[in-house]
Amino acid sequence: MIEIRLHGRGGQGAVTASRIIATAAYEEGKYSQAIPMYGTERRGAPLTAFVRIDDVRVRERELVHNPEISIVLDPLIAKQQAVVNQLKPGGLVILNTAYPPEAVKIGGDFNVATVDATTIALETLGRPITNTAILGAFAKVTGLLKVESIEKAIKKFFPGRLGDMNIAAVKRSYDEVKGPIQAVVKEAPEQKVDIHVGGYGVLKDVSSWRVFTPEIDVDKCIGCKTCWIFCPETAIQWDEEKNKPWIRFEACKGCGLCANECPVNAIKMVRVEV
Amino acid sequence: MVGNKAAATAVKLAKVQVASAFPITPQTTITQYLSEMYAAGEWDFDFVNVEGELTSQVVVQAASRTGARTFTCTSGPGLLYMHHPMQTTGSSRLPVVMAVVHRGYKGMQPDHSDLMSQQWTGWGHQYVEHAQEILDSVLMAYKVAEDPRIRIPIAVGYDGYVLSYTAEPVEIPAQEEVDKWLPPNKAMPSVLPDEVDPSTFARGWGGGDPQMPWKVHHEAILKIEEVLKETMDSFEKTFGRRYGNGMIEEYMMEDAEVAILAMGTIAGTCKAAVDRMRKEGKKVGLIKLRSYIPFPVKDFREWAKKLDGIAVVDRSICPGKGGPVFAKLRDSLFDQEEKPKTLQFHAGLGGKEVRVHDFEMIGDKILKAAKGGKVEQVTWV
Repeated sequence: MIEIRLHGRGGQGAVTASRIIATAAYEEGKYSQAIPMYGTERRGAPLTAFVRIDDVRVRERELVHNPEISIVLDPLIAKQQAVVNQLKPGGLVILNTAYPPEAVKIGGDFNVATVDATTIALETLGRPITNTAILGAFAKVTGLLKVESIEKAIKKFFPGRLGDMNIAAVKRSYDEVKGPIQAVVKEAPEQKVDIHVGGYGVLKDVSSWRVFTPEIDVDKCIGCKTCWIFCPETAIQWDEEKNKPWIRFEACKGCGLCANECPVNAIKMVRVEV
Repeated sequence: MVGNKAAATAVKLAKVQVASAFPITPQTTITQYLSEMYAAGEWDFDFVNVEGELTSQVVVQAASRTGARTFTCTSGPGLLYMHHPMQTTGSSRLPVVMAVVHRGYKGMQPDHSDLMSQQWTGWGHQYVEHAQEILDSVLMAYKVAEDPRIRIPIAVGYDGYVLSYTAEPVEIPAQEEVDKWLPPNKAMPSVLPDEVDPSTFARGWGGGDPQMPWKVHHEAILKIEEVLKETMDSFEKTFGRRYGNGMIEEYMMEDAEVAILAMGTIAGTCKAAVDRMRKEGKKVGLIKLRSYIPFPVKDFREWAKKLDGIAVVDRSICPGKGGPVFAKLRDSLFDQEEKPKTLQFHAGLGGKEVRVHDFEMIGDKILKAAKGGKVEQVTWV
């Protein structure tokens, strides 16, 4: 039995990715199971999903605790989730990052492959939904499933043009993945995986959820308070003296509502550099 | 296909005529799938949107009285809100089938306390393990519920999240085969209120015995055992799959010295644990309980003669009273000459994960107890 763990955030499609892998395995005549595990369901919240692939019907209904493969859909999720925790010795982690595997600082006895899935997703889909943009890398570096099976599975989930766009993401990710190489860092402290990481943003630091960060042009701002009213996380604060907004960045998850609502386009969403 | 899709697909295959449900996590996606099927006109049925679970139960109850095949579904607190009309559906002997996607009361993760809390409503209660079994069990539930000997509503329970949202391969039977195997439901005039026989269904009008409706109801539910076993045989003949005798499903029990009794998704995990223990030469098997109401008393009395121990894993608890399956099993065996040692395990409450090694611990304990070793009666896994 092959066991896989996926780390991502609500909205990046980790659950869909797990189902695509399971469906692709089924297409190749194998049995599979895809278990999602999330707390409060919402965009940006960290979540985990699991896949098992076997030649017989999978009966185990516990979560995957010792995966062979860890797939990380978000470049910053490793700050919140222990993405290589309890990975089987000699296992594999596939990271969404622009860095080559040699530069990866997560350490232990495993192999590392990297792919810049966020850029691929933005350029092929126009949105930072990184699930399909990492599956091509998965197919190539694991050799577990044919890329054709993954494409076939994607067509089931996304018919029509959306399917074609996602397949384009898979193809680019297949071509652009770097590695795998043995992890450069050998020793790493054991981290605790907290899979129940939902919860409410107003109480937490959600800054790592951002793919885009709002930037306010205070000269353009007319002080109408629309952004302040619409911000769902109370990240936008009001400076009463200057009659201008400022951003409490630990509370901003980068949803872009403020930029969308601003009547004079004084707020721009800028890609976060990782 | 995820567990909830399997349930919705069974509803489609059964050509349900009236469905009504109120969305609640983790049942919600069943209503979504049914709504999509309705929008696409996949077959001719009515989906009635309602403002709450109480009404959804009343809608299917009323539709069922007219002879329509009906379906509803809910979870946890939604089931509690349905409690009142469920009594009437049971008492009126209406063959409603309901999927109960387990959700706990102390948090949202699943345990069996939701369906267990509805023991007195006069329904048949079944618990299933995986997505294929959901699809098959919903189909079989219609066959059993609508049988003229039964006419009892049936609830098919399965764990939320870890089964409702988990994707796994499911074989979908051909519509023509299902049509042949499951003929349309027929209204039974005898259960329509104005034609009721006062001695059976009414509340003692006309000088009838007010206790009689309870006796008749009780006996009808007990008859599910026979009809479910028949249905399992005919299901296998037609579709090639079976789950034990319908009441219980045995795994590696042929030469077992002790058994673990579990139900729902954790029974699947238990099978993997049994395989591991067998490799170590431990003669442990699994008896998966599929029908809690009626309880497979006869089957357990037979097994009691052969086994040295039964470990009962309850995924619900009546606080202050204990695990319901444990109590019912011991009640079934109390008068028997030969009785195995029985142990109570509380596991999976509040959605707590039950792992393969937990079942290995349970197996070791019941083996030790069966050999006369000193083991505590109750364990919180």
